[in-house]
Amino acid sequence: MKAKTKTHQRLMAVVLSLIMVLTGSLLVACGGGGTSNSGSSSGGVSGGGGGGVSGGELNVFIWAEYLPDSVVTKFTEETGIKVNVSNYSSNEDLLAKVQSSNEGIYDVVVPSDYMVKMMAEEGLLEELDKDSLPNLSNLDTSFLDPSFDPGNTYSLPYMGGVAMIVYNKNVVTEPITGYEQLFDPQYANSIVALDDFRAVIGMTAKSLGYSLNTTDDAELAQVATRLEELKPNVRLLDSDSPKSAMLSGETSIGYMWNAEVAICQEEDDSFEAVFPSEGCYLFLDNLSVLKGAKNRENALKFINFILEPEVSKMISEEFPYLNPNKAAVALLPDSYRDNPVSNVPAEVIAKGEYVQDLGADVVKYDELWTEFTR
Amino acid sequence: MASRSAPTSLRKRIRRKTPLLTMVSPVTVWMVILIAVPLAYVLLISFCSTDESHHIVFAFSVQNYVKLFDPTLLSIYGNSLLIAGLSCLISILVGYPFATIMANSSPFKRTLMMAFLMLPFWTNSLIRLYGWRSILGSNGFINSVLQELGLITQPLELLYNHFAVVLGMVYVLLPFMVLPIYTVILKLDHSLLEAASDLGARPARRFFKVTLPLTSSGIFAGSIMVFIPALGYFFVSNLMGGGTTQLIGNVIARQFKEAFNWPFGAALSIILILITLILVRAYTKTGGKMDDLGAM
Repeated sequence: MKAKTKTHQRLMAVVLSLIMVLTGSLLVACGGGGTSNSGSSSGGVSGGGGGGVSGGELNVFIWAEYLPDSVVTKFTEETGIKVNVSNYSSNEDLLAKVQSSNEGIYDVVVPSDYMVKMMAEEGLLEELDKDSLPNLSNLDTSFLDPSFDPGNTYSLPYMGGVAMIVYNKNVVTEPITGYEQLFDPQYANSIVALDDFRAVIGMTAKSLGYSLNTTDDAELAQVATRLEELKPNVRLLDSDSPKSAMLSGETSIGYMWNAEVAICQEEDDSFEAVFPSEGCYLFLDNLSVLKGAKNRENALKFINFILEPEVSKMISEEFPYLNPNKAAVALLPDSYRDNPVSNVPAEVIAKGEYVQDLGADVVKYDELWTEFTR
Repeated sequence: MASRSAPTSLRKRIRRKTPLLTMVSPVTVWMVILIAVPLAYVLLISFCSTDESHHIVFAFSVQNYVKLFDPTLLSIYGNSLLIAGLSCLISILVGYPFATIMANSSPFKRTLMMAFLMLPFWTNSLIRLYGWRSILGSNGFINSVLQELGLITQPLELLYNHFAVVLGMVYVLLPFMVLPIYTVILKLDHSLLEAASDLGARPARRFFKVTLPLTSSGIFAGSIMVFIPALGYFFVSNLMGGGTTQLIGNVIARQFKEAFNWPFGAALSIILILITLILVRAYTKTGGKMDDLGAM
């Protein structure tokens, strides 16, 4: 009897440790929104020199798959500053992490357009000292003075892009030109879209000719009906790597970020890229310094370093997004410059729209999304 | 006399209680800080609302609970319960025979089977689910083999549906079903089974009349440990369901992230906690022991 109780206890110990392991993985899921390569894993890269080299430290908090290791190593070699990189996979993760951590844990962050505005309004960002950023002049002025941060008080553009359509022309015979066709019943169960409610609802609103930031109830009622038509066509929602579903043939139409489309096309020439005629969802990610940053000087040095044409070129070579650094674009090969999918044309940008924070009206979008993904 | 004995008895009591206090209080403080306080906060904010810039406003209102009766949300709750229930049922059907075989094996085989059951847990469950995606995908292992054999012409749709979500849940949670059943089968008094046979019960009758009732506490304990996580494991429905089969866990996760609506997310969580409490209560009422759920 006694022996059995002991086995019992030992088993329960096993069960308990199992629970701990599972809870751990759940936490990873929370941090990364379901990704395996992101989350709040920190301390990823620390530059070569490291050790006792005097330059001090710098803590960078940036999107996963956005900052090449080679750039970090180069910065450390040149300045002796040790860089600690941590990653996030959504603007909301970034905001939550910054708000819940002690001031000064991170120095440089890379929020997108609307998140710059939100963070600035929350008083989380430091004003940028432009005098210590001479490389500012390398930036294309059309990306400066944006509506979300007038005068670039708190942020400077890092990389940008659009959400766009890609399709497999071996499967989809009729050419696709806009969002309109994604609602066609003939494409049942064949679309992969970003798992992002602003992107999908915004796209649906745009297909009806409305703004992707509409909060008008009558317009949103039409959007709701339209989403019901889209639903049977969507096979998969995935923000982490939507290109995989296209490349594996799981889906024949995709709605995803331009760099993902560019990679699709590099891998397989049966993919056609489309800037939807109704206008694109634009995004611009920006370098900012957090309020209370412990290494303010180093942060500015880092931002200035990123704005160097050579460095910016290295980033674009690895992650082919739209590069707002015109001096870097001049250095990049024709394969980048002449590829509209990476180097998105100015007229597409002019026609596009940024996402804005909707305030309390975000509830309306959330309700639409709950209905859509039910 | 009385006035002199009082301090003595107090001192005695302190002396008697001191070891207890020093042993228990760290755990108590730990539990209060890490469990009670956060839960109290969740309960508190579930009665709050948010302002234009998404800050929580501390003004009492029950609007978050009223919103729970929205038909869409009710159907998501229903769907979650269905998926969790199915996962639970399949876990029993797979886990019970496994536990029986394991309990009746030689110690060596038993260790081996335990290792097969536990080893996958050394790998992150997300990575293992990605593995399932490449097995079940249109060009995945199963479809390639079936097409190669000429059994099908079009790939089967094995991924991104309810089936895939249930499969993922069962896969991730199966050990929680096997282990409690295994312990009760180990404790099973074999003389009772012999008596049943001696009295003429055939194996099937013996199983349903004797073995099953005697091991039902393990099944119930396992069911609770599978059912409750299955309600909330949003990453399984994200990866296997392709984001279009949302569980209540997905809705909760979104309130805390993209929708910036912590109070509503808190209210949704409170309902989930209530469902859990009701189940655990039903379990203890029917004679289940908290120990078997891994509670201290």
